[in-house]
Amino acid sequence: MSIKRGVFPIVLLAIAIAGGVLPTLVGSALLLTLLTQAVINAILASGVGFLVRQNGLVSFGHAGFFGLGAYIVALSATYHVMPIGFALALAILAPALLALLLGLAILRLVGVAFSMLTLAVAQAFYELVLHWRELANGDDGIAAELPPRILGLDLAMFQQPGSMFLICWAMLILLLFGLRLLVESPFGTLTLAIRENEERARFIGFETIVPRAIVYAISAAIAALAGVLFTLYNGFVTPNVLYWSLSGEALVMAVIGGTRAVWGPALGAVIFFLFKDAAGDLTEHWPAIIGGTLIVVTVLLPRGVSGTITMLLERLGARAP
Amino acid sequence: MTGARTDWALEGEGLTRRFGGFVALDNVSIALRPGEIRGLIGPNGAGKSTLMDVLSGRGAASGGRVRLLGQDIGALPARLRRRAGLARSFQKTNIFPDLTVEQQVRLAARAAEADNAAEVLDALNLTALAQRRGADIGYGDQRRLDLALALVGRPRVLLLDEPAAGLSMSESLTLAALLRDLAARWQVTVLIVEHDMEVIFSICSHLTVLHLGRILAEGSPDEVRAMPEVITAYLGSSAA
Repeated sequence: MSIKRGVFPIVLLAIAIAGGVLPTLVGSALLLTLLTQAVINAILASGVGFLVRQNGLVSFGHAGFFGLGAYIVALSATYHVMPIGFALALAILAPALLALLLGLAILRLVGVAFSMLTLAVAQAFYELVLHWRELANGDDGIAAELPPRILGLDLAMFQQPGSMFLICWAMLILLLFGLRLLVESPFGTLTLAIRENEERARFIGFETIVPRAIVYAISAAIAALAGVLFTLYNGFVTPNVLYWSLSGEALVMAVIGGTRAVWGPALGAVIFFLFKDAAGDLTEHWPAIIGGTLIVVTVLLPRGVSGTITMLLERLGARAP
Repeated sequence: MTGARTDWALEGEGLTRRFGGFVALDNVSIALRPGEIRGLIGPNGAGKSTLMDVLSGRGAASGGRVRLLGQDIGALPARLRRRAGLARSFQKTNIFPDLTVEQQVRLAARAAEADNAAEVLDALNLTALAQRRGADIGYGDQRRLDLALALVGRPRVLLLDEPAAGLSMSESLTLAALLRDLAARWQVTVLIVEHDMEVIFSICSHLTVLHLGRILAEGSPDEVRAMPEVITAYLGSSAA
């Protein structure tokens, strides 16, 4: 279930405006930093959630695409390989192309086998940057030598939490709007149909692997976009951006938020970050609290927070005269 | 009986299907004239569904040929056989539960590059249910939706695997009448597997009886009903 077609753009616009004024209301730079990180992770979680929604597949390897995007920008800028504009485009397109080709090969697998292969590919990239010190300085990471101006904006705009929050927020809103258009398009209907009943889709005359590979590629591009924003904001990357635990966190965000609505994983990411911060203030064993919360959410809210909100709104709508 | 004749709508020649050492289909040949409704009957395990699978591309034949309107389609995957004009439905209801009825039929129309989605919805009495999700409609409606997905684009040949399974007697006969009407109106050749003999005898002009992976008998319903070997293997004495 989803919010009605005409209501979605209005709600999204209201949320966009609310986010736009947030930096002026939040005085704490620390909180703004946290929120900026949350929005970058919301973009990553949206990519993971889109894959679950349209392909019915769980990826344990989206950190691979996130990290590739992050490292391509950092390495291109540091080694002055190409203009930063090209590097940004390559950082999104290369992971997408990799996912497309990988998808054509592994999307015939289902369930755990697919998930394990995505994990293996991401871990391969992690091991590569970890051990190839000459390229990426191993686990010490690399400081990206970003140019003073990027796409016409001062570098400082990307590295100060107030302005970067607005940039990431705008990206997230545009992304959610684009995803909404995509899932309501004929392509969205087709991929949903394939997710539900691939055999029947073939027997009504559709090729089913290529559309699923395209969904996987779009999902990878979204994760890579988040990685690009991560590097622009932090100016520093380590192999941790490719590590499986980031893929796991993105999946947890998507599950908490729910994947039936395109905005669910993003909401899950914000909840996850704020909750993680609050739990971190209480105890150093905060992952246990997150784990317990995930169990509770999964059992009590199987559709995630967004699914529950949508259900309540529909019930209210049904009662209205 | 067979041979590369272009006047057959669908022709399977010498079809064999092995699963390890088990021979599910043993050199079966079957040919359907354009416009006929052929019943394919036989006891459980006779090879009926296997034959449907081999004809439709769901399973590969271990040997033999499949021709549609004289064209060899044996090497084509299922989706291309569908685009060539060979559609099928399945033993278990095979729809898209989360899509609306209209979305599903329009999706099938898009695949078939056809513009008769509304006509098919209307013909199968699904127009009133168009905005309901597949999972939310009744079982009988789901069976008609399954049929609608196969009929969009007016395929030349339609393979139906127990379309009346799970329906009441009156629902089965209504579906059979609808099927006979649509096949005649849209000139669709039909091969139907069905255990409900009321349905089979009410719409089929010709029957093929399979037993242990081989063709046991062929003929008109009256001829088949009177064959001692068919009575022994499948129908039982009460049918004679």
